[in-house]
Amino acid sequence: MSTSQAIYAGWMEIPTSAVNQEAPTHAEDEALAALVDEYAGALYRVAYSVLRNPADAEDAVQEAFLRVLRHRHSLGEVRDHRVWLIRIVWNIVLDRKRRAKTRPETDDVAELARVLPSTGLSAEEAAAAAQHHAHVLACVERLPAKERQVLLLSAFDELSSVEIAAVLGITESSVRSRLFRARNLMAGLLNHARSLR
Amino acid sequence: MNSTPHHRSPEASLPGSGEETLRLIASLPAPEGLEQRVHVALRDAPRHARVLAWPARPRLSQHAASRWMRTAAAAAIVFVVVGGGWGVYTRVQQGQPAKVIVMPAPRGFSSAGAMRTPETLPGPTVNQPAHKPQAQTREAKKSAAPAAKPAIQPRPSK
Repeated sequence: MSTSQAIYAGWMEIPTSAVNQEAPTHAEDEALAALVDEYAGALYRVAYSVLRNPADAEDAVQEAFLRVLRHRHSLGEVRDHRVWLIRIVWNIVLDRKRRAKTRPETDDVAELARVLPSTGLSAEEAAAAAQHHAHVLACVERLPAKERQVLLLSAFDELSSVEIAAVLGITESSVRSRLFRARNLMAGLLNHARSLR
Repeated sequence: MNSTPHHRSPEASLPGSGEETLRLIASLPAPEGLEQRVHVALRDAPRHARVLAWPARPRLSQHAASRWMRTAAAAAIVFVVVGGGWGVYTRVQQGQPAKVIVMPAPRGFSSAGAMRTPETLPGPTVNQPAHKPQAQTREAKKSAAPAAKPAIQPRPSK
């Protein structure tokens, strides 16, 4: 204890965290940087699956990590960082989509043909595939919100039904039942569209 | 997240349900340099929330100065409040008579303060009964003799 601390200690409480505040902050910054390196890509794909706009998805990822930065002191209390981060970005993108109320950029057939991979396909086949994708996405937008959210998250291979339940804040059985309903609804919508052609 | 799948849900996707499209979108690669841009955004971001978060605890070297600053700020606040109160007190004079605006009396048919006295019918008058004194003088008896008339006088007929 230094002389000044010894003088003050008689009449004033000095928390040690106030004196050595730099060390935990540096460790938290390093932990946050590691989270960015590990999960930024995954968060981008989750954001893109909802917003379907590259710039908006990247903004959502940055906003998610900025939120983490504000609560970096509680990083040690988080059990599963991946699910926690996906939940943060999921709430951000849902909020943004609710506010924007605009049609996603990639629902445009030409944009879908540019974005989605079409290796080994001729130009006609690629155009037909892009049209099919656009139609599927339009059907997804017509699903009820609960079923749509489960269906979108189930498209990520690395997310189990337990993790989807954790992201959405529901039970695993609810995830399964909603997924079942979503698939049936999608099949019905797509079959109805085929019969009209 | 690029590792192997943890645990797939047992329900297989229905053929023709369009999930291939969603899987294609979900597997799109992130743009180049995304991590670097996020790092830059985090580095440039303010470390503490400006509005909602409490200010950081001052260091030991700043503690004495901040204590003086707090004392000075408190003294300034007290000075402003007391001075303002004193200014209001000195400007407002106590006990001023209230200004009364007298409205002119309305013209036209007014009573002008007259009081109405109702007319009453002339009723019977009751005379005071005569007293018989215990010891009276002769003069007093003589003068008292006309008082022996009937108490109720007949009402004059109209």
